[in-house]
Parts: sequence; C-alpha cells; structure tokens
Amino acid sequence: MDAGLLAQYVMNGLMLGMMYALVAVGFTLFFGVLDVIKFSHGDVLTVGAFTALATYAGMRMLGVNSNLLDLIVMLVTATLAMAFLGVVIARYLVMPLRSAPALNTLLITLMLGTVLRESVRLFYPQGANPKPFPALLPRTSIDIGDFNLRFDNVLMLTAGVLVIIGIQYLLNRTKLGLAIRAVAQDEETARTMGINFTAIVLVTFALGSGLAAFAGVMNGLYYNEINFGIGLYLGVVGFSAAIIGGLGSIYGAILGGFLFAGLQTIGTVMLPFASAYKDVFAFAVVIAIMAWRPTGLIREKISERV
Amino acid sequence: MTRAPKFAVLSIAALIVAGAAVSADAKDKVKVGFIGPLTGGVSVNGIGGRNSADLAVRLRNADAKSKYEYEMVVLDDECKPNVAVQVATKMAADKDIIAAATHYCSATAIATVDTYHKFGFPVIVWGAVLPDITYRNKYEEVHRVNGTMINQNDANAELISKLGYKTVAVIHDTTDYGKGHNEYFSKALAKIGQAKIVGTFGVTADQQDFTAELTKIKALNPDVIYFGGLTPIGVRIRSQMDKLGIKALFDGTSGIVSDAYIQGLGPLAEGTLAFREGAPTEKLPGGKFFMEKYNAQKYDNPPEAYGAFAYAAMDMILDTIEKVGPDRKKVIADLANVKDRDSIVGKITFDDHGQNTVPVITKYVVQDGKFVEWADSEYANGKRKLPGQK
Amino acid sequence: MAGKGHTSVWPGLVALAIATGYLIALLGAEKQNLIIMLLAVGIVAVIAAAWLGLFENVSASFVEHEDALGVCAIGAAGAVAAVFHDNHFVLLLVITVLLYSVATLGLNVQFGYAGVLNFAGASFFGIGAYTSAVLNTYTAVPHLLVLLIGGMLAAFAGSLLLLPVLRTRGHYAAVVTIAFALLFKTFLEVNDVLGGPQGMQVKGMRILGWSFNDNIEIGKISLSFYMNYFVLSLLLLAGAFVLVRRLERSWIGLNLDALRLDETAAGCFGLDIVRWKITAFLIGNFLIGIAGALFGMVGGFVAPNNYTFADSLILVSILLLGGIGNPWGLMVATIIVVVVPEKLQTIQEYRFLLYALMVIAVLLFRPEGLLPRPVRRYFPGWRP
Repeated sequence: MDAGLLAQYVMNGLMLGMMYALVAVGFTLFFGVLDVIKFSHGDVLTVGAFTALATYAGMRMLGVNSNLLDLIVMLVTATLAMAFLGVVIARYLVMPLRSAPALNTLLITLMLGTVLRESVRLFYPQGANPKPFPALLPRTSIDIGDFNLRFDNVLMLTAGVLVIIGIQYLLNRTKLGLAIRAVAQDEETARTMGINFTAIVLVTFALGSGLAAFAGVMNGLYYNEINFGIGLYLGVVGFSAAIIGGLGSIYGAILGGFLFAGLQTIGTVMLPFASAYKDVFAFAVVIAIMAWRPTGLIREKISERV
Repeated sequence: MTRAPKFAVLSIAALIVAGAAVSADAKDKVKVGFIGPLTGGVSVNGIGGRNSADLAVRLRNADAKSKYEYEMVVLDDECKPNVAVQVATKMAADKDIIAAATHYCSATAIATVDTYHKFGFPVIVWGAVLPDITYRNKYEEVHRVNGTMINQNDANAELISKLGYKTVAVIHDTTDYGKGHNEYFSKALAKIGQAKIVGTFGVTADQQDFTAELTKIKALNPDVIYFGGLTPIGVRIRSQMDKLGIKALFDGTSGIVSDAYIQGLGPLAEGTLAFREGAPTEKLPGGKFFMEKYNAQKYDNPPEAYGAFAYAAMDMILDTIEKVGPDRKKVIADLANVKDRDSIVGKITFDDHGQNTVPVITKYVVQDGKFVEWADSEYANGKRKLPGQK
Repeated sequence: MAGKGHTSVWPGLVALAIATGYLIALLGAEKQNLIIMLLAVGIVAVIAAAWLGLFENVSASFVEHEDALGVCAIGAAGAVAAVFHDNHFVLLLVITVLLYSVATLGLNVQFGYAGVLNFAGASFFGIGAYTSAVLNTYTAVPHLLVLLIGGMLAAFAGSLLLLPVLRTRGHYAAVVTIAFALLFKTFLEVNDVLGGPQGMQVKGMRILGWSFNDNIEIGKISLSFYMNYFVLSLLLLAGAFVLVRRLERSWIGLNLDALRLDETAAGCFGLDIVRWKITAFLIGNFLIGIAGALFGMVGGFVAPNNYTFADSLILVSILLLGGIGNPWGLMVATIIVVVVPEKLQTIQEYRFLLYALMVIAVLLFRPEGLLPRPVRRYFPGWRP
C-alpha cells in the first residue's frame, strides 16, 4: 500500500481512537471511585454536544462572529453544564443505589441515558433530525502525496492529547488526584484518613462528565454533524474500550480506546469484503478478548472479595 | 366500607365506562390515511408530503358538493422498513380507514406492499421511486402517481457521459432503494459505454463515519462519485469528501433533492448534480394552483420535491371515494381503470401494475444554495465549471 | 386477613375477572379522553387496592390455587380474543403480549433464577424470527418444526457466547452480551444474504394445509386470521409457563437459586456452577428463540432494526418492572409495556422516555418490581 494512504488511515484511526479514549477514561474514573458503571455517559456526551450547538446559536444571535471566541465559549459552557449534570446524576441516582446490586446501577444509568437521548430527540428543536455542526477550526490542509493533512484534525488530536495528559497530571501529581486514587483504592481507609468521600465522588463525576462534553464537541467538529444517537454508539464503544482495557485503569482505558479504533481501521483495510463489517469484526474481537482475559487486558490488582 | 360493596362499585364503574366506549357517535365521516417519514433525516420531505395531502383533504371538506366529511389519519414510517411495516399493519388493520397515500422512501414502500395486499388495503404511493414497488408483484391494491428511478438514472448517465467524465465510483445505501439506484445507474452507464465504474461501495443508511470508504475511493481517484441514497448520509459523505481532500464531482439522485441537503452543507453543496422524475412543481399543469393554495394554508414547511404528487395521490383517493363510496373493494376496482385522469401533475394513467408513466426528467445542479434546473444554470452555459469538467 | 389458614380461590378469581374486564374496556376504547380516564381509574384502583391490602389475598390465592387460576387465565385470554374476534389490530396486540411474555419468561430463567445477565434478548428473539424467515422462504420444513429450530438456533448462538459469559462476572459479563447485541444487528445490516437493512418477508404459518393467514368464516361469523396465531401463541405461553414453573420448583430451580444468591458458597457445597449456568442460559435462549420464530410469522416481516440493543433493554425492563423471578408479574408488566403506549396515541412519541422514567422510578422506590417473587415453596400447600 501507498505510504500516503497508509498515513491517511492512521490519521483516521487516531481521530477515532482519541474520541473513544476520552469516553473510556470517563467510564474508568467512575468505576474507580464507586465501582459502578455509569452507562448514561455516552448520552451525556450527546447532551454536551447539543449544549455546545445551542450555545453557538445563542452566540450568533448575540452577533458574535469570531470562530475562536465561539469555540471557547461553547467548550466552557458545555463542559461546565455537563460537569453539573454529572454531579446531579451521581448525587441523586448513583449514590442512593450504592447498597443495591451492581446491576441496578447499570440499569438505572442505562435508562437515564435513554431519558437524556429521548429528551434531546423530543425537546431540542427538530431534535430528531441530524444537525449541522459549525466548522469552527481553520480548514486549511496540506497534500503530501495521497495524504491530506488537515490542520483542524491536528489541532483536535493535540487538544485531546493535552487533555489526557492534564487528567494524568491531575490524578498523579495533585492532592485532589491523590484523594481520588485513595478513594478508588479503599473507600473506608480513605474516609478514616479524613477524605470527604462524597465530595471526591462528586468531583470525579464532574470531571468525567466534563470530559464527555469535550469529546462531544470534538465529535461535532470532526464530523460537522451531530444527532441524538451519537452518544449511544460512542458510549457502548467507550464502555467496551474501558472493559477490554481493564476497568479502573486509566492506561487501560486509553489502550482500549485506541485498540478499538485500530481494530475498526484494520477491519476496513484488511477485510476482503465490505468495510461495513468493521463493527462486526471489532465487537467479535471484544467478545474474544473477554473470553481470553475476563477482567481486561490490564487486570485489576485486587481479586474478588468473598 | 367492606370489600363486597367496593367491588360492586368498581364493576358498575367498569360497566359504565365500557358502555361509554360502545356508544360512540356515528357521523358521516370517512377516514383516509397518509404515511410518510415525519421524523429522521428526510422528515422535511415527509412533512411536505403530509401538508400537501392535508391540503387535498381540506379543500375537499371545504367543498359543499362533497358527500362525506374526510379525516386524514397520519402515521410516521421514519423511513425505516421495520417501522413502516408496523404502521402499515396498524393502518390497514383498521377497517375504518378506506385508502391511503403512502411512503416517500422506497425502502419502506417495498417492505409494506405485501402488508397492503394481505389486508386488501388500496394505497397510492406518492414519492418512492423503486420500480419493484409496483412491478415486483401484481398487487391490485398498490398504485403510484410518481415515476420510477429507471429514467432518472438514464438521464444521469447520459449527462455525465456528455460532460466527458471517464471514471465513476459508486456509493449506495444497502436498502432496496440504494441497491436499485446502483443497478439502474450501472446499466445505463454501461449502455452508453463511455465512463466506467471503478468501484462500488455499499453503506448502511445510518452510518456516521465514511472516511474508510472514502480513503479507498481516494486511492481509485475517480472523476465522479455517484451517490444512490438519501439526504442524511449524502450530507455526511459530501462533507467527509472535503475532509479527505477528494475533489471529484458529487452526483446524486432524487433522494437528495431537498432543502435539507443544502442547509446541511452550506457552500459545500455547490456543484452537486441531482435528478428527479416529473417537471419542477412550478412548471406542472396545476403547479400554480397548487402553490397558491398551499401558501394560503400557511404551513411552516415547503411542499418539497414530491408534495405535488402527494396532493395528486390524495386527491385521486378522495375522487374515487366520492364516486364509489367508502368501500375498499370498490375503490380498488375503480382505481384499476384510471386513464388520462386530469390532475395537478398532468394526466395520470395507471398501467396493469398500477404504475403511472412520467416521461419527464428534471436535471438539477446546486448553484448558489439552490437546486437549479441544469439547462438554466451557469454550469450548462459554461460560466462556471463543475469539478473536473472538460 | 385469612390468617394462617388456606386462602380460597375467590380473591384470585375476582381479581382475574376484574383485570380481564378492564383490559377489554381498555383495548376497545378508541377515544383518547376515555383511554386516559380508564388508565387513571386503573392506576387509582391499583393503588387503592394495595393500600387496602387486597393484593395479599390475591397473591396468596394465586400461590395456593395456581393451577386452577392458570386455567382461568387461559379462559380470560380466550374471552378477550372472543370479544375482538374480527379486530385485526387488537388481536395483533394481544399476540404481541403473549409472545413477549414467552420471551421474558426465557430471560427470567437466565437472570431471575440463575443470575446470568443477558442484554441481548432482542437479538435471540431476532435469531428465531430470521430462522422462520429463511426456512419459510427457501425450504419446505414443516412450520411447527421451524419454531423448534428457531429456538434451537437461538440456543446455539447463545452457546457461542458461553465461554466469555462463564468466565466473566458482573460488568464484564454485561459487556459480552451488549457487544453481541450490537454485533448481531450490524451483521444483519451489512449481510446481504439475509436482506440487509431492507429485511425479509416471512411467509405465514401453514399447518397441514391450513393457512394461518386466511380469515376464518364460520357460518355468518368471520374471524380475523390473527385468531389462528392467537391460539398458537396462547398454547406456547401456557407451555412455557408450565415449563418454567416446573423448572423453578424442581431441584434444578433450587440449584439455580443457590447459584444466583452466592456463587462461591454454591460451589463450596458441590454444585456444578458451570453446568447450571449453561443450562439456564440455553433454556432461556431457547424460549426466546421460539417466541421470536412465531412472532416473525405473525408480523410477516423481519428487519435488523427490530432487534436493536434498545429493544433488548425493553425486555430487561419488563423483567425488572414485573418483579424478577415472578412469571405472573412478568405477564402483567408485559401487558403494561406493550398495550399502554399503543392505546395512548398521544404518548406514542414519548414511549421510550416514559419506559425509562418508569424503570428509574421502580429502581429507586420499589427495587423488587411490581409483583416480587414470593418466598420459595418447597412443597404444595407449604407456607413459610
């Protein structure tokens, strides 16, 4: 294969992988602190993207015409709004169910996801239809052989990498991160050490949900279109990525995200038949990985407590 | 209060309620149906069709000479075959509904014809273009006022051959609609024998990411990308072509002739080709009358490309019921003999498969954010050039 | 209260009669105002009855006299069908309720008894439906046999997942069936052989020359062709119900309960965990597959979009709403989930939203479902 084309595929795969990884990191954060799966995560992403779109419409109505300013305000609004939504979800839906079986949390958040998704469909103006998302990043590109390198893709990838590095720094180098890790490791000990458990859980949910909003805006900028269903798919993929990586490990989530994107890209390039089979291929590999490593590629350190 | 009296109260209440249900009033009302995509990516077309059919019913109800008062039952097929079969079953199973104008999407129309046949429910298709809808079976229940996709693909192949293009990559959705376009376009192109197809890609109708397919197409470097599918993925493919730096001509079908295509793409829509059977609404025999009446109702959506056909279909149903009475079997019998019937889209004649023949094809190109007839465009007279045009 | 003595059959019978009358009124009602009024009356009546403590008697009566009341329930279903004998649409609704009940019974065996998660219920339902589509179109396999094959293929497809399902637990197990649900739908969509996104027509059932898709004329009365399917579906549900009940009461059911409640402890007591998990998973999928195969023939059409992850979620929510492990509760929940949105046209658009809110409310305020599973009875007439 031509090197230019190969570069193109790698670029496509990296963009997808970045979005998956951002979603997967959220799943893993929530699981870390509370041992729960918050399945509405993908739909929080959708709501985040639509919040950004609504903000854009609002900015245009106010007569602001600067792409950069628009983008910054959109990102800030969406991230803050979703962080708040994440806190509300954690406080009123996830925490009250702490003593119930894990399935109940999974189900209640799955249903919450449906509520969010359907609310966008029903209550956002014309929400059932795909919405064009403004292209706010510079659209210049360079052709290198068959490889079309777009400036906006490079910007988005860089932003994604920076955000992930930021999260990493936050978790490993700050006091807050230390508290989050302590809670993730052992709730009771963390409490006795004087850590405010509830506050840490809420902060973590805010952080993860804010990440989802960021991924939602990125998704909009990349495809220039959003619809009410994007979150369902990204949520499931992100969840699978977090699971195959190994829940509770942030590296696992990133690995899982890029692995899934890699599988899809390989599925497209290598499979002799229609590239539409890429999802079938990717999910089949997920199932196979679960059979091979039942607790993910990067295993949890603690074995089951009897 | 002990329990026994409570049960008595309950059962009496139940009886009263049941009685109320039975004693429904019986006015001289006749129900007719409309099915189209009212939500989803092609909803503007569905809503335009619904408004147009609604217009036909309103004008009829306002007419003092009409024998019945009509009520139109509207159901949404979401442009999905499974939903279409559900709503078609619902409508056809309701004996009070006499006949219906149905479907914009071919994928839904072809899925439901068996249902209509099973229930003996007369329908007139108002927008779907797949030939199989009328020609696969010989169902006396199924009719169609608009033309089929065969002719538009002939015109399409002819135009791009005339413009001197040599290589074409085909993307089509994998419903019967997209497959049909692929089939007829390939045949038409082979018959002319000038341009050749370098690759064919089937995609699902709700796919989001086309970068993989488009990267493969980029390697093939075609002059033209032919797209057999509907507006939503048309918009996605066109904008992702731009992301990958593909500069080929984007050549669509009747499925993208809608304002949503242009709104979704903005300036990127410029220079897209599309084809549709039938003359543009304003040039139809009854076009002026239709647009006047339509605008008078102040609907918040335009009638879109197939609104006039929806009006014609519903109007024909109402005519038939006026003539033979609200009886499905009689309606079917009468619709079998439609010949040179006047309508706003011109004379309608159903052949033995219930298909109206529409010889005219309109060629469109997007110019300055509008679908413009090819002959009137600046592309035809050489002021502007399509990508890669010789 | 009836105290410790035996409860008579009457409370159950009266409750059944009222429920049947109510259902007939609801199915027959056409005006939206009337339907809304009926639903309001129903909700108030249920809350009032619960408040008066009437349900304890009813449920005790159902526990004591299950066989007799089961026969009466069949009679009640027959009465509903008789009232609407020429109404295609209502009969189709009733059949949908019956077949969904069979499918959720299958899920109940998996999750309610053995504790094995299955988020791909709709996919196994779809395997059954596609089996009848393919076999009825291309082969001359007798149609009753097709139902059986549908069930077996669903069980077989399920067995492909056995290894990961057995090896994983909790969330990790959930991802296996979720991935399968998505894989299945995508596979159908991209695979042209099975019609792709366009789906396939399914020929109607035909047994010994008797075509199920023809209307029936008996003297002057004409019955809807759905009556054929109704009878068959009712038989299927009765059969599935008996099977599931027998299974629950047998030592197999006891093993499954032990497995669900504490896998480690069950293992310590010498239960073969793997074997019982497999048994429950296969039986469950078999039931779902049979229901799907028949439903395919009833609807006459199958398409990938009928069997999405969202549909699987609806099946799981029925299970949860009804009360995990209680077959009677499942049937009540199925009626609510299937009939109410159909009748209440005004909420059609909002039905997914309402399901979701309803399940959230149930999980928060009544985590054990509407009719929770009663305490196990070790032999007839025994009360804890």
